[in-house]
Formats: sequence, C-alpha cells, structure tokens
Amino acid sequence: MLIELKDVNKTYFGAQPLHVLKGINLGIERGEFVSIMGSSGSGKSTLLNILGILDNYDSGEYRIGGKLIWDLSESKAAEYRNKMIGFIFQSYNLISFKTAVENVELPLFYQGVSRHKRHEMAMEYIERLGLKDWAGHYPNEMSGGQKQRVAISTALVTKPDIILADEPTGALDSKTSVEIMDLLKELNEREKLTIIVVTHESGVANYTNKIIHIKDGVIGQIDENRSHDAMRFGSEGVLK
Amino acid sequence: MRFDIDRYKEIVDTLARNRSRTLLTGFGIFWGIFMLLIMLGGGNGLKAILSRNFAGFTSNAVIVGSSRTTKPYGGFKRDRYWSLDKTDIEAIKTLVPESDIVTMMDAEWGGAIVYGENSYSGIIKGLTHEYEGVEAPQLMFGRFINEVDCEQERKVCVIGKRVWSNLFPDGEDPTGKYIKVKDSYFQVIGVDSRSGGINISGSSDQSVVIPYQLMNKLYNKGGKFDIICLTAKPGADSEVLQEKIRGLLSRRHTIAPDDKSAIMILDTKKVFTIVDNLFKGVNILVILVGLGTLLAGAIGVSNIMMVTVKERTTEIGIRRAIGATPRMILSQIITESIGLTILAGMLGILFSVLILWAAGSVVSSMPDFSSGISFQIGFWTGILVLLMLVFLGVLAGLAPALRAMNIKPVDAMRDE
Ligand SMILES: Nc1ncnc2c1ncn2[C@@H]1O[C@H](COP(=O)(O)OP(=O)(O)OP(=O)(O)O)[C@@H](O)[C@H]1O
Ligand SMILES: [Mg+2]
Repeated sequence: MLIELKDVNKTYFGAQPLHVLKGINLGIERGEFVSIMGSSGSGKSTLLNILGILDNYDSGEYRIGGKLIWDLSESKAAEYRNKMIGFIFQSYNLISFKTAVENVELPLFYQGVSRHKRHEMAMEYIERLGLKDWAGHYPNEMSGGQKQRVAISTALVTKPDIILADEPTGALDSKTSVEIMDLLKELNEREKLTIIVVTHESGVANYTNKIIHIKDGVIGQIDENRSHDAMRFGSEGVLK
Repeated sequence: MRFDIDRYKEIVDTLARNRSRTLLTGFGIFWGIFMLLIMLGGGNGLKAILSRNFAGFTSNAVIVGSSRTTKPYGGFKRDRYWSLDKTDIEAIKTLVPESDIVTMMDAEWGGAIVYGENSYSGIIKGLTHEYEGVEAPQLMFGRFINEVDCEQERKVCVIGKRVWSNLFPDGEDPTGKYIKVKDSYFQVIGVDSRSGGINISGSSDQSVVIPYQLMNKLYNKGGKFDIICLTAKPGADSEVLQEKIRGLLSRRHTIAPDDKSAIMILDTKKVFTIVDNLFKGVNILVILVGLGTLLAGAIGVSNIMMVTVKERTTEIGIRRAIGATPRMILSQIITESIGLTILAGMLGILFSVLILWAAGSVVSSMPDFSSGISFQIGFWTGILVLLMLVFLGVLAGLAPALRAMNIKPVDAMRDE
C-alpha cells in the first residue's frame, strides 16, 4: 500500500470550527490512477492538501510507503514533497516572471541539481510534453493548456512517486481537457505513476480506473472503473 | 546551505525581472547614501576651502595691535592714539619668556605699484625675515625676504599673487625685475600665492612686502608701528603669554589694563579651535542627518519588501510546495534585500562621487582658489558605507524574510 489513511480528521478553526474530514479511511496502491469526487465544499482539496503534505491533519494516521507523516518539520515536509510528490493545480501555479523551462527547473534547483543538468532535464520534459517551441516563453504568453503542460512537466521533473492533481482541467475547455487527461492516463500506463485527481466533473473522473466519492467528510462509495463506463457520460469523453 | 553561483543568479533574476518593484524599493537606500555622501563630501570641501584661508599660519600665533584708548587712565583722557615701537619688541623678548618669534608689521594702504604700462593700487607691508615663522608664505616664484635684506635695507620686495597678475599679465617669472612702488624702485625677489585667510593689515595677495627698516625710513615712520606678530614657544600657554603681554604693554604705555580695545590681541589658536569645532559640529550633524536618511531608507525598503512579500505569497507558496525549505526562503529574501541595498547603495556612491568630483573641479577652476580643492570622500569612508549597506540590507530584509518564511504552501493555493 503506497498511501494509507486511517481515521484522518481535520477541523478548520475559523470564525466557527468546521469539521471537514471526519475520519477518512483510504488505501491507494502504487500505480493506481484514481479520482476523488464530491460536491463543492465536501473537503476534496483539504484531503488532497493532506495527501501532499501541504497541510497537517488533527488526528489519525497517514502513511506514504509505510512512513508515518506526522508532526514533520517544515524542512522535512519540503524534502518529502520535493522528492515524492508532484502537484498539478487548477490555476497552474507557475511563477509569472520565469519562463516555462525555468519553472520546470525550479524543483531541481531546490534539490541542488547543477544548472546544466537541471536545464537538460527540464528541457527533456518540456519536449516530451510538446512544448519545445515554448520553452523560453513566460506563462502569460501561453494558453491554459500549454500552461498546464508546463505545470505537469514541473510535477514530473523530479520523478516523484505520486502525482496529485486538484481540478487539473478546471480552467480548460473540453478539447484541452481531453488532451490533459489523455496525458495523465498515458503517464499512469507507461510510467506506472500513482496519480490522484480531484474533480467534480464526471467526465474527468471517468478517465481514471477508480472513483472515490467523498461525502459529509467521509469516504462513501468507491467505484472500480476499469472499463471506463462507471459514469453516465463515460463513452462521450469529457463533458463540460 | 549551498553556496553556489546559482543562488545568486536566482536573486539577480528575481530582482531584474521585477524591475519596477526593484527600483521602487531601492530608491530609499540610493537617496540616503547619496545625501549622506554629498553632505560629507560637501563638508570636506568646505573645510578644504576654509583651511586654505589659514594655510601657512602657525596655529600658535598671537597678533597684538595698538588702537585708540577707550578708557581714561593714569592722567590721560580716553581716545588717545598710541603706537608700538622697537623697544616694545625688545621688552617682550626679554620679559616674556613664553614668546618665541616677536616681530613687527607695518602697512601703508593705497600705494601705486607700477611695472611698465601696468599699475595696481595695493598695500605696502613692512616685515622682517622673522615673519616667515608666523605665516609661511607660499612662494610661486623666488624667495621671501631674508636677514641680509633686512640688515642692509635692500630695496627688494615680495609681491602678492594679485599684484603679480596685474603687473605681469603674461604670467612670466617676475624675479629680478624692478617695479615702482610709490616713488622708489624695488627689485622683485618672489611671488607669494597666498590669498584670503587671516588677513592682517590687508589681504596678502594685494600686498607688496618690503623690509621693515627700509619702509620705516622711506616713509618717515619714526620707528613707530601698529602691529606686533609673535608666536608662543612650543608647549607654552598662549593665555599666559597674552596676559603677560597685555600687562607689559599697559605699563609701558600707561593704558588701562582692562582696555581690550586699546591693546587688541588676536589669538589664532582660538580661531583655529573655533573653526575646528565648527567642522566637528557640522560633521556630527551631517552624520546624524545622513544616518537618519539612511535608516529611513532602510525602513522604507523593509516596508516595501513587506508589501512585496504579501504580493508574492503565491510565488513563495509555489516555491515551498515544490520543495523550498523555510530557511531557503528566508535566505532568499535576505539575500534579495542585501543585493538590492548594495546595488542601490553603489549607485548612490557612484552618483555622489561624480557630483562631488564635478563640484571639486568647478571650485578648483575658480580663479580665487587655485587648484586642489577636493570635495571627495575618503576611501575608508566608502568602505565603511559599504559595510553599513550590508548591515542595513540584513536589517531591512529581516522582518519581511521572517514573514515570508511563515508562508505555508496552502496559503498560496488559497490566495487566488
Ligand atoms: N483554511 C480554511 N479555513 C477555514 N475553512 C476552510 C479552509 N479551507 C477550506 N475551508 C472550508 O472547508 C470546507 C472544505 O473545503 P475544500 O476546499 O476542501 O472543499 P472542496 O471539496 O475542495 O470544494 P471545491 O470543489 O469547491 O473546491 C469548505 O466549507 C471550506 O469553506
Ligand atoms: Mg477544491
């Protein structure tokens, strides 16, 4: 079991405490391609942030590859994120004053990879994602789809075990969404990458092999989706 | 922490690609340094100009002058004229052991000085060779009056710079030439380039200096003169010297001992001390104001960086999410701050040095100052300012860096 959650709880202490995750139990194997679905405000992003060690949880246990993720120092958390996890966000999260290739180089910079080496590696991924001609461009000179490819390159360049994607197609049109999902699917099949996609679009979820529903802060139904027909819109691709 | 060129390239990139932010942030430091150095350099220049006025003057000279009495004393009414004479000099020499050089000075105003077609109306001063020890001449040609000139009452003269430039407009060496002063001819033996300064009996650049004895005879002075110039022996208390001289002269000439107008005593040491203190004061003021400006600049940088860090929450969050540790963020912001301060400070240094250099050459090219007035700041001042910049950089970057360090990756994701 690559990812293991046991009775994970999370409460936000805002104006009034909000108990968002009420005992999450979940296991994800290495090489799985899963989606997490749920209505808005159901705690999908919260869960993903905990999975990505971007945020802490209040009680329970979260293990990656058997290693307990609890009470980590900031620098230890940063190291784990850097080495094990790649992120893809709806809003791309690229640094605006850096070119595409420089954005992809950044995680390697924080790993201490030499300049020459990291440029080489970044270019390799940029090219693989078909962005060769855009390597020297700034994010604001690129389309949403291109930006998301840059973000995916950034997530992949450190060769992580897990890719976490929060609404990766949320800001894209249906055609581009299909391209991005095809890309993730291919990465899962070819590289055996573990990919977890948070979405509220059934078409997107239908690309994945397993659909995890979250409702009222707990895991609800889990659909096996090997044949990609669990969703009503499955055969028609991503619908917007 | 890794120490490689990469980290610096990262900082340079960040600063260079956010140019307007960088400019805005750096301006406070630039201005602070610029003002501090301009004021320091300006102070140096002013001091150089003022010091030039005292150049050559011994710092322990005492000038004694006779003037109308202002108090009745010993049977005499007030408003009596009196003069000094040679016996006073001998009396001082024997009775006041604190005195070193004691020599007379006499002056005639408005004498016509002629050479060929050119003429000038200047001051004729009678001095002895000993006067050199009171106020060293700055000779651009020839020599000063010597002992033999005085003993043999030679008809020789040392002319001031302005006299020289009026009589010899082509700028030639006038030594050996004969000029007419009033009704007699004198051979020029030197040109004194001193100007301004502590002017005793008129500015030395408008003067023709001849041996005192000769002057006494030529103009029928009857051995009387109005000024004695003397210096205190090394280590002697100038105050004691002045008191003794006042006492001696008031006895010899029957003058009220407290009639300070009748026996005027000018102590150059006092003047030097006043000027010195003035400049110390000016320097302290400049440093305080400059440091204040600089500190304000640093606070400005800190403030703007604070806002900047808030603006950069997303960027910093992204960096954190993909593996930057808080320490890396901390060192990034502080290094940015130092880089910015040094960059802005260097520009401030460069600009102020250029402007000071320009001021120096303008002033030096003015006819009255000859050359060599420098408004420049010292090398070590520059180094010190540089060190201060690094310190200020750290200081300014500290609060923003701590704030940046506390940005969590989730904060960035939320801040959209
Ligand atoms: N930092 C926070 N402080 C307080 N409340 C929060 C915080 N982050 C999220 N919440 C609340 O927690 C609940 C779950 O948020 P979360 O972002 O996980 O939902 P989501 O499932 O991702 O929704 P969506 O589909 O709209 O993105 C929401 O009600 C939200 O308002
Ligand atoms: Mg969400």
